[in-house]
Amino acid sequence: MSRPSVVRARGLTKRFRERTAVDDLNLTLLPGERVGLLGPNGAGKTTTLLMLLGAVTPDAGTIEMAGHSLPRHRAAALSKVGFVAGYLPLPENLKVREALTIFAGFYGIRRPKPVIDRAIDRFGIAHLADQQSRELSSGQRTLVSIVKSTLHDPVLLVLDEPTASLDPDVAKRVRESLLDIHREQGTTLLVTSHNMREVETLCERVVILAHGRIAADGTPADVAASFDTDDLEAAFLEVASRSRAEMGELR
Amino acid sequence: MNESLVRIRAVMLRHWLVLRRSPHRWFEISFWPFMDVLLWGSLGVYIAKRTPNSPAGTPYLLAGITLFWTFTQAQFSIALGVNEETWTRNILNVLTTPIRDAEYIIGIALFGVLKLALCIGTLTIATVVLFGFDLSTVGWSVIPIALLLIVNGWALGLFAVGLVLRFGQSAEILIWGLNYVLLALSGVFFPAASLPNGFRPVASVLPTTKLFAALRALIDGRSLPWSTIGGAAISSLVFFCLGVAFAARLLALFRSRGFVTRYS
Repeated sequence: MSRPSVVRARGLTKRFRERTAVDDLNLTLLPGERVGLLGPNGAGKTTTLLMLLGAVTPDAGTIEMAGHSLPRHRAAALSKVGFVAGYLPLPENLKVREALTIFAGFYGIRRPKPVIDRAIDRFGIAHLADQQSRELSSGQRTLVSIVKSTLHDPVLLVLDEPTASLDPDVAKRVRESLLDIHREQGTTLLVTSHNMREVETLCERVVILAHGRIAADGTPADVAASFDTDDLEAAFLEVASRSRAEMGELR
Repeated sequence: MNESLVRIRAVMLRHWLVLRRSPHRWFEISFWPFMDVLLWGSLGVYIAKRTPNSPAGTPYLLAGITLFWTFTQAQFSIALGVNEETWTRNILNVLTTPIRDAEYIIGIALFGVLKLALCIGTLTIATVVLFGFDLSTVGWSVIPIALLLIVNGWALGLFAVGLVLRFGQSAEILIWGLNYVLLALSGVFFPAASLPNGFRPVASVLPTTKLFAALRALIDGRSLPWSTIGGAAISSLVFFCLGVAFAARLLALFRSRGFVTRYS
C-alpha cells in the first residue's frame, strides 16, 4: 500500500498576465521527506509555495495538504502546516512571547502557555522571550519564526529562504534546529534556498524548477548527475544558464 | 473552547497589545473625538448666541458628532485592523495560519467594540464637562440608532478593506476619507433637505441619513420614529451585505492575483 502524501499537487498552473509562473506542476511530498525546491529567480518557487499555502489561488490544478483539499478545506489543511520565510518580520510592538501566544491562538491552541514554554525551552530562546520582536537580529528572528511555525506540531514545515542574509554560524544553528524538528517529529520539510551547500546538508530530495516546470527531481547526487555535473551548485548553474538561453530565444 | 473562538480571541489579543504599546493609536479613540467635540460644541454655542431662537443647535451638533464617532470607530475597527497587518508586513504570516477570513474580521470588529466604548466614554465626558450636554438624557431610544450606525460603520470598513486589498497601501487614504463623505451626505448635523438639490437623492438612500434624522427627532423630544428605524435597519443590512460581498470578492482577487507578495 502506498504511503499517504503530505502534499499532492496536480496540474498546478499560475499565470500573471502574459507570464506563466507555474506551468502544469505535479508535486508529491511524502511524510518525513526533506525536499529542496530550487530554481533560478522567476522559476516559480515562491508562487508554488504560496499556492500550496493557500495564499495564492491557482488558475488550474488541485492541491491536497495532509489529506485536505485546498481552498475548500484551507483551515484544516493549514492547521497541519507551518510557514517560515527569512524575509518576513514578526509583528512589531509585540514581545516574542506575546507574538507566540497570538500565533498559538491562530493555530487554535487552547492553552498556549505550556506549549510556548516547551517550545522556548526546546529552541533555547528563553533569553529572547521578553524582548520586543523589532529588537531581534535576523538570526534570532528566523529562530523565533521557526518556533512560531512549529507550535502546533505541523506535519509539513514550508521554509522560504530560511537562512537568507544570516551569518554562517547562525545559519548553521537554524539548519540544525530544522533537522532536530525533522528527527524528533518526522516533520516533512519543503525548503527553498539559493545556498546549494545548505540544500545538500538539509535535503535528501531536490526538485529544480525552470519556467514553472520541474526540470529535475531526485537526490542531490542524482540531480547533479542528470546534468553531467559534479555537484548541485554546478547543476543549478546549468539550469540557470539554459533557462536564460531559452528566455533569450523567446524574446 | 471552540477553535474558532480561540482564533477570534487571539485576534483581539493581538490588537489589544498593539493598542497598549502605541500611544499614537489612542489619538483616534480619544484626542480626535475630543477635538471634534470642542469644534462642533463651540460652533453650536456661537450659533446659539447669534440665533437664540434655535436652542437645539448645540445638542444637534454634539449628539451628531457623538454618533458620527460611533459610526467612524466601527469603520476604523475593520479597516485599520486589517491595515495593521499590512503596515507590519504580517499579512502573509496571518494568511498562512488556519485562521479564516471571517474569524479575523469578527475578531477586529469585536475588539473595535471595546475601542468604541472608550471613545464614547471620552465623548460623553467631554460633552458633559465642556458643554453640559449629556446624550444619555435622550434615553434608551438612542441605542437602536447607535447599533445600526455600528453596522453601517462595519459595512464601510469592509468596503475600505476591499479597496486596500485591491489597490494596495496607496488606497489607505480612503479609510480616513470615506466616513467624511457620509458625514456630509447623511445630514449628521442638519436635515438632509438642507443639502444642495443634486445631493438630496443620494442622501435619501443612505441608511445613515435616516438614523441621524431619527436622532434629531429624539433630541426634539419626540418619540423614536420606528418606521424610519425599520427602513434604516433594512437598508443597513443591505449595505452590510454589499460590504461583505465586496470585501470577499476583492479578497478572492487578492489571492488570485498574488497581491500578497506586495507585503512580503
